[in-house]
Amino acid sequence: MNDISCGSGVELLMEYLEGVLPPETNAALEAHVAGCERCTAFVASYRETPRILRTATAVELPADIQESLHAFIRRLRS
Amino acid sequence: MVVPTADSSDETLAARAAAGDDRAFEEIVARYERRVFGLACRLTSETDAPDVLQNTFLQVYRNLPSFRGESRFATWLYRIATNAALMIRRARTRRPAESLDAFMPRFDEQGMHADLPAQLQVASRADEVIDRQALAEKARAGIARLPDVYRDAFVLRDLEEMSTTDVAQVLGVEPATVRQRVHRARLLLRGYLSDLAGVKR
Repeated sequence: MNDISCGSGVELLMEYLEGVLPPETNAALEAHVAGCERCTAFVASYRETPRILRTATAVELPADIQESLHAFIRRLRS
Repeated sequence: MVVPTADSSDETLAARAAAGDDRAFEEIVARYERRVFGLACRLTSETDAPDVLQNTFLQVYRNLPSFRGESRFATWLYRIATNAALMIRRARTRRPAESLDAFMPRFDEQGMHADLPAQLQVASRADEVIDRQALAEKARAGIARLPDVYRDAFVLRDLEEMSTTDVAQVLGVEPATVRQRVHRARLLLRGYLSDLAGVKR
């Protein structure tokens, strides 16, 4: 019905998730993934990757660095 | 800093700051200092981030009068912050990073995933099976191993959660190029997370 393989489907994922694929390609990709356990698992992990790394790399602004910045800005204006 | 302008739009504040209103500039700093520091850590390192932070607001202060509202203020400021980060990064002599290419997905001759579903989904649970502190270190190290152009696009799009259009403006490339770079980074980092979470290949 469609000629999408796991490999060619993977290359469409970003555009798929951003909603910029042509409708026919979009439907073909969805049909492939729905019938493919491996792609279903792969897509789930592809979607989770940004969230996991976003959380893992979140940092607070340390108070001493913030204070240095504010002092720098006060000097800038005086 | 006590600032009574919390409900003003960025663009209003920018206009007031450009006209010499110090309170308005302080409010801009208060709104963006955390995000700029976070961005700087992700694009450079925690060591270089304080310099990036300072340089960013120096440039914002100097260039406010030339902000014309052609893009949103946030996008304009992110472009300044990104350039400040890239400038510091370029000044560092770095050892070539060990490639992440080994973590790309693998396919058989028919184009089918070579790994089993159970292996393919392991990356989704990396944050459940790896200690939080260890994952924080490994995540930073992994992102630093990306080729620079992939790293920049991935950090802005996926970690700072900017739209593809805004990232394209900040980096001065087409949206399709942003998508291609972010996609490549996601594939590499997804495989890297799988490896960290214990998938052997």
